[in-house]
Amino acid sequence: MTGRSPFQSVSKYFRELSVAAVLVVLLLVLAIAAPAFFDAPPLFSRLARDTPTLVAACGMTLVILCRQIDISIGSQFAVCGVCAGMLAAGKEPAFVVCAAPLLIGAALGAVNGALIAGLRLPSIVVTLATMVIAREGLRWTQQGAFVNLPDGLQWFGLAQRSGQWALIAFALLLVAAMAWVMKHLAAGRFVYAVGSDAEAARLAGLRPQLTTFLVFILMGALTGLAALMNLVQSPQVDPKSGTGIELKAIAAAVVGGVAVSGGRGRLWGVFAGVLLLACINPALTYLHVEAYWEKAIQGAIILLAVVADGMRSRKAREAS
Amino acid sequence: MEDGKLKTGFMLSPLKNWKAGLFRHETILLAVLLAEWFYFDSVGRRFGTLDNTFDILRHSSEIGLLALVMTPIMLTGGIDLSVGSLLGLCAILFGKLWRDAHFSPGLAAVCTLGIGAVAGGLNAALITRLRLPPLIVTLGTYSLFRGLAEAITRGVDTFTDFPASFLALGQDRLGGLPTQAWIFLSAAIGVWLLVHRTTFGRSLRAIGYAPEGARYAGLPVEKRLAMAYVLAGVVAALAAIIYTARLGQAKADAGTGYELFAITAVVLGGTSIFGGAGSIHGTLLGVATIAVLSNGLVHARQPREVAGMLTGALLLFALASGEVSKRLAKFRAHRHSPNPATPVSASHSP
Repeated sequence: MTGRSPFQSVSKYFRELSVAAVLVVLLLVLAIAAPAFFDAPPLFSRLARDTPTLVAACGMTLVILCRQIDISIGSQFAVCGVCAGMLAAGKEPAFVVCAAPLLIGAALGAVNGALIAGLRLPSIVVTLATMVIAREGLRWTQQGAFVNLPDGLQWFGLAQRSGQWALIAFALLLVAAMAWVMKHLAAGRFVYAVGSDAEAARLAGLRPQLTTFLVFILMGALTGLAALMNLVQSPQVDPKSGTGIELKAIAAAVVGGVAVSGGRGRLWGVFAGVLLLACINPALTYLHVEAYWEKAIQGAIILLAVVADGMRSRKAREAS
Repeated sequence: MEDGKLKTGFMLSPLKNWKAGLFRHETILLAVLLAEWFYFDSVGRRFGTLDNTFDILRHSSEIGLLALVMTPIMLTGGIDLSVGSLLGLCAILFGKLWRDAHFSPGLAAVCTLGIGAVAGGLNAALITRLRLPPLIVTLGTYSLFRGLAEAITRGVDTFTDFPASFLALGQDRLGGLPTQAWIFLSAAIGVWLLVHRTTFGRSLRAIGYAPEGARYAGLPVEKRLAMAYVLAGVVAALAAIIYTARLGQAKADAGTGYELFAITAVVLGGTSIFGGAGSIHGTLLGVATIAVLSNGLVHARQPREVAGMLTGALLLFALASGEVSKRLAKFRAHRHSPNPATPVSASHSP
C-alpha cells in the first residue's frame, strides 16, 4: 500500500465523495422533477436559514473528533438567542449584542467541558443533564414569551437579500477557515490526535483533557454564534428556537463521514452533509411528500450513514 | 465480596468493612428519599395522603418500567436513548390498531408488544451485528421512532375514546393498589431476578466490565446484548400501553424526554455509566426519588420547570460524587498498598 495512484486518493476520500455524489444526484433529480427548487429568492432564504446549522455542525465535528458528543447545544442555542435578544431590546450597543451570545455560549460550553474533561464524566450524560437544566431554566424565567427585537437588528440593518448574502458568505468563510486550521495548524492536529488515541497523545506530550475542554468551549461559542445568525433573520426570538439543532448537527457530521469512534473526519465532508440534510425537507415539499416525514428520514439517514461505516470497518476487520 | 452475593458486581472497593454498608449508594439514596418525603409532607398539606401516594405510583410506573430495562443495558456499558421515542411510536400504533384496524384492545396490546420487540431488535441488530456504538445507533432510532410517530399521525391526529375496560388499566384500582402498580411490581421482581439471580444478569456485568474478556471467557456477548435491547423494546411498548390507558389518549409526543428520567433514575441508583456495576433495587430507589421530587414540588407550589432542573442537577451530582469517591478510593488504595499494584478501573472510552 505504498504506491501512489489516483485511485488511492479516491479511496482516501471515498466517504466524503460518496456524500457529495448523493448530494449531486439529489440536486439533479430536483432539477428535473422540480426546477422551481432553484428559484433564487427561496433558495437563498433557505440557505441563510441553514447557516446556523452549518456553524453548529462545525463545532459538533470537533466534539465528535474528540470522541465526545454534545446534545445540549439546542438549549445553549435558545439561551444565547434569548439573552442576546433581551440585550438588543434593552438598546445595548451592537457589539455587546454580538459578543454576548458568544461569551454566554462559551461559558455554558466551559461548564460541560469542566465536567467532561475535568471530572472525566461521560459526555452523553453530562450534556443530557445540562440540556434539561438550561431548557427548563429558560422556560421557567421566560414562560414561553417571545422577545421582540428592535428594527435595526434584522439582517444587520441591511436589505434582506444582502443580509442573506452576508450570512452565507460569513458561514462559508468560517467553514473554510476552520477546515484550514484543522488540516494545517498544530491546534487542529491536536484534536485528531486526542480523538484517535488519548493515551498516545498524552505520551506524545499533548494534554488531552485540556484539548477536550477547549473544544467544548469552542462548541459553546459557535453555538452562540449560530444563535446570533438565527437571531438576525427574524423580528422575534422564540425561546423554543434551537430545538433539535443538536440532532441536525450530529446527523450532518455523521453523514459527512466523521467517525463516532473519534479522530476521523473532514469538515468539507460535514459541509456536504449539512447541504444534503438541508435539501431534504424542501425536496420533500417539492416532490410532494408530506413534510411530517422529515424527522423519520433524518433518523434513517443517521442510521444509514453509521451502517455504511460499520460495514466498511467490518470488511476491514475481516480483510486484516 | 464477603456477602457472597456479588451485589456491586466486579467493583473492587477498598472500603470493604462495616462502613461500606453505611456509605453504600443505596443507603444514602434511601436517606435522601426519606428526607424528601418528610420535607414535602411538612410543606404540602395533601402530600402524605394515600391518594397522593397512589398518584405518585401511577405517574412513575412508565418511567419506572423504562428505568428497569435501562439498567441491564447500562450494566453492559451501553445506553438506549430511543426508549422515550419508542414509547411514543408504540402508543400511536396501539391507537391505530384499535381505532383504524378495529382490533380489540387486548389484541392491539399484544401486537404493540410485538412491535416493541421488533424495534428493540433493530437497535440490537445494528449494535451487535455491525458493532456500532449504542449511543449513535439509539440516537438515530430516537429520531426515527419519533419521526415515524409524527409521520403516521401527521403531527395532529390524536387517539381517544378508548373503552372503559381498557382505561381501567391506567386509572382504576385492583386489590387496593392502582392497576398498573401490579404490572410495575411484577416487572420489577422479574427484572430483579433476571439481573441478580441468573447467569444472564451476571454475564451482563461481565460484558460491561470487560467486553473482550467476556468474549474470551466464552460468553455469547452478542446474544446477551441483543436480549437486553429487545427486552427494552418490549417493555417500552408495555409502558406505552399503560401511558395510553392512564391519559386516555395517544399522541405523537407521548413520552418525550422520558429517556432522561430513566437514565437519571438508573445513574442515581448507583449503576456505573461505564458498565459492570449496578443494581435493580438501586434503580427502584432512583425512580422513587425522582417521582417523589417531581410530585412533591407541585405540592410545595413550585413551578413544574423546577422539577426538571433539579432532576438534571441530581443526575450531575450523582455522577460527579460517584467519580470523586472512586478517585478518592483509588488514591487511598494507592497509599495503603506497599506494592504498586494498579487499581482496576473501568475503561473511559464510550
